[in-house]
Amino acid sequence: MKKLDRRLLRMVRHSKGQFVSITVIVAVALCIYVMLNVTIINVKNAVDHYYNTTNISDLVVELMRIPQGALEDLKSIKGINDVQGRVSFDVPLQVEDEDERVNIRIMSIPDNGGSIYKLYKAENSSTELNDDNDVILLKQFAEARNIKGSDIITPRINGRLHNMKVSGVASSSEFTYLMENEQSLLPALDKFGVAYVTEAFAQSVFGYRGSYNEVLITIDDQENIDDIIDLVEKKLDKYGVKKITKLEDQLSNNVLTQKIEGMEMMSSVLPVMFLLVAAIIISIMLSRIVNNDRMAIGVLKALGYSNIKVLSHYAKYALAIGLTGSITGIIGGLLLANPMSQLYVFYFNIPLAGIEIQYDYIINGIFLTSIFCIGSGLFGARGVIRIMPADSMRPEAPKAGRRILIERITFLWKHVTFSWKMVIRNIMRNKRRFAFLVIGLALAYAINTVPLFMTDAFVSMFELQYGEYQKMDYTIEFAKPQNEKVIVDLNHLIDAKKIEPRLDYPFELVNGWRKKTVSITGVPQETAFYVFKDRNDNDIKLPEKGIFITEAISKALKVEKGDTITVKSFLPGRDDITLQVADIFKQYLGANAYMNIEIMEKLLLESQMLTGVSVASEDDLKEKLKDVKNISAVRSAGDMKQAFVEYLDTMNIMIMFYMLFGGILGFALIYNATIIGISERTTEFASLRIMGFDKKDVYSMITKENFVMAGIAILVGIPLGTGMINGMVESFSSDMITFPVMLSPKIFIQAALASIFFVIIAQLATLKKVYNLNFIDALKSRIS
Amino acid sequence: MQESILMKVENVSKDYKMGEVSVNALQGASFDIYDGEFIVILGPSGSGKSTLLNILGGMDLPSEGKVIVGEEEINKYNDRKLTAYRRDKVGFVFQFYNLMANLTAKENVELATEMCKDALDINKVMEEVGLGERKDHFPSQMSGGEQQRVAIARAVAKNPLLLLCDEPTGALDYKTGLLILSLLHKINREFKKTVIIITHNMAIGDMADRVIKMRSGRIVEIKENENPIPPERIEW
Repeated sequence: MKKLDRRLLRMVRHSKGQFVSITVIVAVALCIYVMLNVTIINVKNAVDHYYNTTNISDLVVELMRIPQGALEDLKSIKGINDVQGRVSFDVPLQVEDEDERVNIRIMSIPDNGGSIYKLYKAENSSTELNDDNDVILLKQFAEARNIKGSDIITPRINGRLHNMKVSGVASSSEFTYLMENEQSLLPALDKFGVAYVTEAFAQSVFGYRGSYNEVLITIDDQENIDDIIDLVEKKLDKYGVKKITKLEDQLSNNVLTQKIEGMEMMSSVLPVMFLLVAAIIISIMLSRIVNNDRMAIGVLKALGYSNIKVLSHYAKYALAIGLTGSITGIIGGLLLANPMSQLYVFYFNIPLAGIEIQYDYIINGIFLTSIFCIGSGLFGARGVIRIMPADSMRPEAPKAGRRILIERITFLWKHVTFSWKMVIRNIMRNKRRFAFLVIGLALAYAINTVPLFMTDAFVSMFELQYGEYQKMDYTIEFAKPQNEKVIVDLNHLIDAKKIEPRLDYPFELVNGWRKKTVSITGVPQETAFYVFKDRNDNDIKLPEKGIFITEAISKALKVEKGDTITVKSFLPGRDDITLQVADIFKQYLGANAYMNIEIMEKLLLESQMLTGVSVASEDDLKEKLKDVKNISAVRSAGDMKQAFVEYLDTMNIMIMFYMLFGGILGFALIYNATIIGISERTTEFASLRIMGFDKKDVYSMITKENFVMAGIAILVGIPLGTGMINGMVESFSSDMITFPVMLSPKIFIQAALASIFFVIIAQLATLKKVYNLNFIDALKSRIS
Repeated sequence: MQESILMKVENVSKDYKMGEVSVNALQGASFDIYDGEFIVILGPSGSGKSTLLNILGGMDLPSEGKVIVGEEEINKYNDRKLTAYRRDKVGFVFQFYNLMANLTAKENVELATEMCKDALDINKVMEEVGLGERKDHFPSQMSGGEQQRVAIARAVAKNPLLLLCDEPTGALDYKTGLLILSLLHKINREFKKTVIIITHNMAIGDMADRVIKMRSGRIVEIKENENPIPPERIEW
């Protein structure tokens, strides 16, 4: 081994604390990079494999009623591969606890099991329906409610209880992420399930003999999917098309795609941030080592070593960090990728296709990290070039001491104590390094703000949506459209302060070539339950005629307040109408539009087609309405809250991870900065000690410097964090969810507390260095 | 004494900027160095002797004047050529030894020889400087005299044309200082190396073939010693 390399190894051993702390950052960066990327690929492969084996439907058409015979006709459309009909309805399920409201979606499957959305049978289970009273239950639901094969479940269909035997448990690629509908926000596996029944049973109990209310379509020609949709719509118009959903908009697939996209974003942002901080520390550390090694560098040059040789000697230190860090990180990432992939596919109920190790990520990872480290190493060690062998033999000329800006403000400076003067001067002594450290700490701080914001956003999103924007205690949904009389009937059944009718139907909104299928909700113009706010948070009132749309819809259709849009009805025989966009309102969950219920009935629907009501009541409506025919769902604000609290628990894990990441960065920065500061100023501290300062005084000087730095970093971190939050919001917002960007001071204060906590920990880790400082030796030696 | 010229110094000056101060360190120095000579450059601190040594060793460039080695003007060298000059032609010995703290004695010597084409046998050189037994010790485990021997071994093992020693006894006690001077004398006589020592210690001048006296950046006297005395007999 070359002597310089041996020296390098000894240098590493000598500064192992610093070496390890930077290596950890690099390792974490690579670990996240490899873990997430391998997981992403595994999950994507698993999804593809799952979608292929179960033959996922490209289009789902919901309609009033279509005779079985009409399906064949669809196959004549060019590009359509296969067509399958089914009957699907949501009904309440009778469960032991009478207070609990559980809904189940009854879906028919063809006798041969069908060819689209084939069920994926669970282990030791069959997917055979031997009898018309057999059901196959969706696995997630069966597991959540602990229902096993041959158990009996009792759905209430059209007011009648049916005893049905569970003949098997299966997964479906249609429900990888089980949610009742777009407005649910969160899955509640034990509150909503899917039961597959024979066609004969479904058609008979729902009154759909010889017909279906949903059509599944697979398509060969994905490029012309929109043209095919138009043709399908035209062909099926007479059967009352309600909604056509593309795979990309399909609820479970949409959530799955978003989760993968979220992971992809994290996999590119987090490692880069970590490497950036590592680069900052490496370059500061090397510039300090080079400074300290001035004499040695002079000797090397006097011996005839060239600049490049000396420079590469120090860059190798950085490379050693890069290689050690990336190799440990990659091993860790590979080890974690397996359980992480398992966790994801388990969460989404996807059978794992097999773990694949992606070697190009490993090579890319090592390569990029090495370049990053060598780059920062060369940058930090570039001072080597300036060191002239002759100069290095002489003691260094004292740094140009200048008065700093605040000193000129004499009345202020007069009141600064001596130790604070030293602290301030010292910070100003190396402005660039100070700036680097501040940026690094600000990044660590900003990373902490993101998860805090997310929790905060979820809470406020929830509180706004179900507290401020929608004030009803219950929403009731009818199994079949009802007329206004239903309100009078309900008033007899329950003790309600107020009941408001509600309409909820899907329509296609069109502006030029842009179109979007959304649900339009009709509520009374003087509604007591719905509060609408415009983008500036002003209250707005539902117009007599005209429509309120969400921001997501306005973006998708490129329409603004005052523009007109065409509303196409899916009901047979209804003409298209045009409506003015009365305003764009704030809504965080779901993409829908609102209209005055009277106008909506008159212009878009037949009269007397209420789909539900909103109720203000202190009664227990779930209990009172549980046997009432024609009610498909009763939801209380409390149910929502429960599901939400459960979801927050899983969020907490993510928050802890982020905090830990931010913490590691903050710790490594402060730890290294302090160690470097101490070793640089050994002589200075030694002089102070001899003059009579005690260890505590010296230590408190360093502490003050670090806290000034942390304080400034937090100030810089606030806009940085805001930027990161905005990026997060941008990338996570979809048609379904818009995050409220409400930056409460609480987020920034909590993040600051977390940062300060890590600064204190790092500070304590360096305590020993100051306390063990031998000041006599420090003063004697010229060679450090 | 051989009469072939190893090096010519012609009217060399050097100005320094130390922080915010400009220093006139060397002014119009001119002299020749002969092959195999033992030269002592004498002067008080600040007389410009270290500056002169640095320029001779290719560690620094003159502000004015020429330094000619063979046919080449090294004052015109770029950084790369200067590096090569230091590597192949010059060996340095410093007052504070300047060893790499985290390399052993032998490794410190190897550090220098690793890059040289015709380096001497390290073990032999270590024996010659009297460090055969101590070669695996780290600098911190050695006395000042031993550390200086390592530094000399490091300079000699490269097999340079010229050995430049900056106050080689400055940090040593009298006895150890004498031993180091004897060693340098031996290297001059036995290895036939040109040795230049700079010092403020007048007594050391007695062992030189020639003494160059300096004051305030100028050469004030160049004196040839008809009968240099052996280092063992020097006293101060």
